[in-house]
Amino acid sequence: MLTPLSPTSDPFAHRLQLFTGKGGVGKSSLVAALALTAARRGHRPLIVELGHRASMEAVFGQGPIGYTPHDVGRGVAAMNLGVEGALVDYVADNLRLGGLAKLVLDNGALSRFLYAAPGVTEVVTLSKLRQLALERRPEGDARWHPIYVDLDATGHALMLLELPRVLDGLIGAGPLRRLLASVSALIADPDQTLLHLVTLPTELPIQETLELYRQLDRGHKVQLGRLYVNQVPDEPLSYRAVSAMDELSRAAIVQDERELMNDLALARVALRRYAQVTDQLSRLAAEVRIPVVRLPRLATGEVTLEELERLGEIAAQGVMDRGAVDRRAAPDRRAAPDGSTPSRDGVER
Amino acid sequence: MSGVAPSSARPSAPPPSSRAASQRGYDRADPLIEQSRLIVCVGPGGVGKTSVAATLALEAARRGKRALVLTIDPARRLATALGLDGLDDSVRQVETAALTRWGARVEGQLFAAMLDTRASYDALIRRLNGDARAAQRILDNRVYQAFSRTLARSHAYVAMERLYDVTSQGEYDLVVLDTPPTRSALDILDAPGRLVRFLDDDVVRWFTKPRLGGRLSRLLPTGSAAATRLLGLLASQQLVEELISFFSVLLHLREGFRERAAAVQELLRAEETAFCLVCSPSRTSLWDAAYLREGLVSRGVRLSATVFNRAYVPSGDDSATPLAWAPPVEPRERLSALGLTALKGAAVHKSAAVPRPSEAALVLLSELSHLRQDAAAYNHAAQAAMERFQERLPPGSLRVRLPELSDDPRDLIDLLHLSRALFTPG
Repeated sequence: MLTPLSPTSDPFAHRLQLFTGKGGVGKSSLVAALALTAARRGHRPLIVELGHRASMEAVFGQGPIGYTPHDVGRGVAAMNLGVEGALVDYVADNLRLGGLAKLVLDNGALSRFLYAAPGVTEVVTLSKLRQLALERRPEGDARWHPIYVDLDATGHALMLLELPRVLDGLIGAGPLRRLLASVSALIADPDQTLLHLVTLPTELPIQETLELYRQLDRGHKVQLGRLYVNQVPDEPLSYRAVSAMDELSRAAIVQDERELMNDLALARVALRRYAQVTDQLSRLAAEVRIPVVRLPRLATGEVTLEELERLGEIAAQGVMDRGAVDRRAAPDRRAAPDGSTPSRDGVER
Repeated sequence: MSGVAPSSARPSAPPPSSRAASQRGYDRADPLIEQSRLIVCVGPGGVGKTSVAATLALEAARRGKRALVLTIDPARRLATALGLDGLDDSVRQVETAALTRWGARVEGQLFAAMLDTRASYDALIRRLNGDARAAQRILDNRVYQAFSRTLARSHAYVAMERLYDVTSQGEYDLVVLDTPPTRSALDILDAPGRLVRFLDDDVVRWFTKPRLGGRLSRLLPTGSAAATRLLGLLASQQLVEELISFFSVLLHLREGFRERAAAVQELLRAEETAFCLVCSPSRTSLWDAAYLREGLVSRGVRLSATVFNRAYVPSGDDSATPLAWAPPVEPRERLSALGLTALKGAAVHKSAAVPRPSEAALVLLSELSHLRQDAAAYNHAAQAAMERFQERLPPGSLRVRLPELSDDPRDLIDLLHLSRALFTPG
């Protein structure tokens, strides 16, 4: 693969930032958090969701998000890149057929025919992403920067990246070939495009992330960005407290203190789970050569934009400060009594 | 079909006793496996859907049924436990003898199979095609190869195909189908019809038998040549030709597809079919689950149960009860309650039989109190989020909640453990 990204590089330098990971690992929250932070630093971020996900509607609560990018608040724009719209754009941009193209695409049958053809969905999606990346404001600078793309699933990312290989031999020298070449060039440009991985610190997501990492590391000409690990729990007890566990357990048994026994059992489960998380993070660290950014847990239930902004700050600072993160930025964090707890946010390598 | 609103009159409504037996408005999943012949598990990623699906099948087997779980993508160790080490997608019987030592007799039989998109597709093409040479022609077609590889879009067809296969022979008393995470699960309902409609489209026939014409030929005066040229411009002439040859072969299979799609649609809406939504109380999981809930209800299928996994941190002595908030106890008071007293920042023992508590014990007591508060706060927030979610569940739909387990299930014994939380013990 290309040289790994420097852990201290500017998280907002790249125009096109793609995020991939298994469903349920918190890609949408992370993308929203980074976009909010980018906007606070004076950038013009655009969030792109693919297909019919509606996560950003729930996050920003600004009504439906459609094909045309629009402001969802706090300086963040969002859009939903549906295939139908992208197909019309693609035909209009590449074939100059004007009315005829519209006529053909308005015919649902032909659209479905195109949709079923392998690669068409991916080609028009990539084409639209390229168009967004090239778009300029009247002032002459980029209209959107950075563009955060929430790729739905692991398979989706691979399909986009494998497109040239899948289509090899099936496409001639026409506009598709030319388009594919220019899109591939954008995706392969390490100064413009990053592919980030998102995961959780538990066994199955880590296993899949490692498998995906190996695949990407081997074969694909895309600059891997960072590996974000969501929901890394705090160390449940300080070293000091752990040293008193046996002692208090004995006292609890002698005195038959049920409440205390329960509390100690809860602590043991938390310690065990934390040890498992640590194991999984070590597995990552042993193999992965890109910067790993650990992110704290978000509260259950309603999460506010303020909380996401805090998460974005941690994600961005974790990138820039190599672990020297302002601990106050992390919600619900208790400092260990002797201050000996190692920093758990930020970049490891 | 969206007019079929779920009502409490449906047979899937749990008997009053099951609701009464539950604590605080939550149910057990017993009626789900007792009353269903097919359970489709849907839900967002990372919520333990595969484990729940396997547990439903295991419990049915324990109750004397022949139960099959069709799973996708299980964690490696769970796959091993289910005997799914092989690379093919054949049905295997799961060895359950190990459970006897844990006091769990499996009266029936448990079977498992993995859904493998590519292999199932190839098998489908062979099954539908009597002629081996015609089948091979499809299998060699590059469009077909790309099509069957695009997992995201084709999983639903494969799942349907396997379902048709395993249910049409009536070999099993219960089939539990695991589905891919989140939204694409609705493809299970939409895809079969879509494929048939697609094959029925004028345009496909028109491309494969150009002289027949169709709606499009009136729209495009220059006829099929122009449309083919347009497609050729979009993609390439070669792609178009492979596509046409792919569809012309596929078109012969249309009747077979249509029959199967109709049968599967009927099956999915049958009385004895239940959809089971699995989610966790995290915000993102509930968003996706809400989308699925609306999608299922609007498609007129029976959302018979919702399983909230990792719904609460259990209290120490009873895993069925969420840990509750308790007023924090001052560490020194707690030491006193233990028969220990604190003096000058350190604690000293009252009786020589009890070891002298250290300063570390005070630190531990204070941190334990924080841990407990955090867990109680989690339970409180989770409970509130689940209640909001339930407001829009169809009446009569079961609501089951499972405690947060310390590990993901890895073997049959872990599944047995999970089944004790899912079903009425005994």
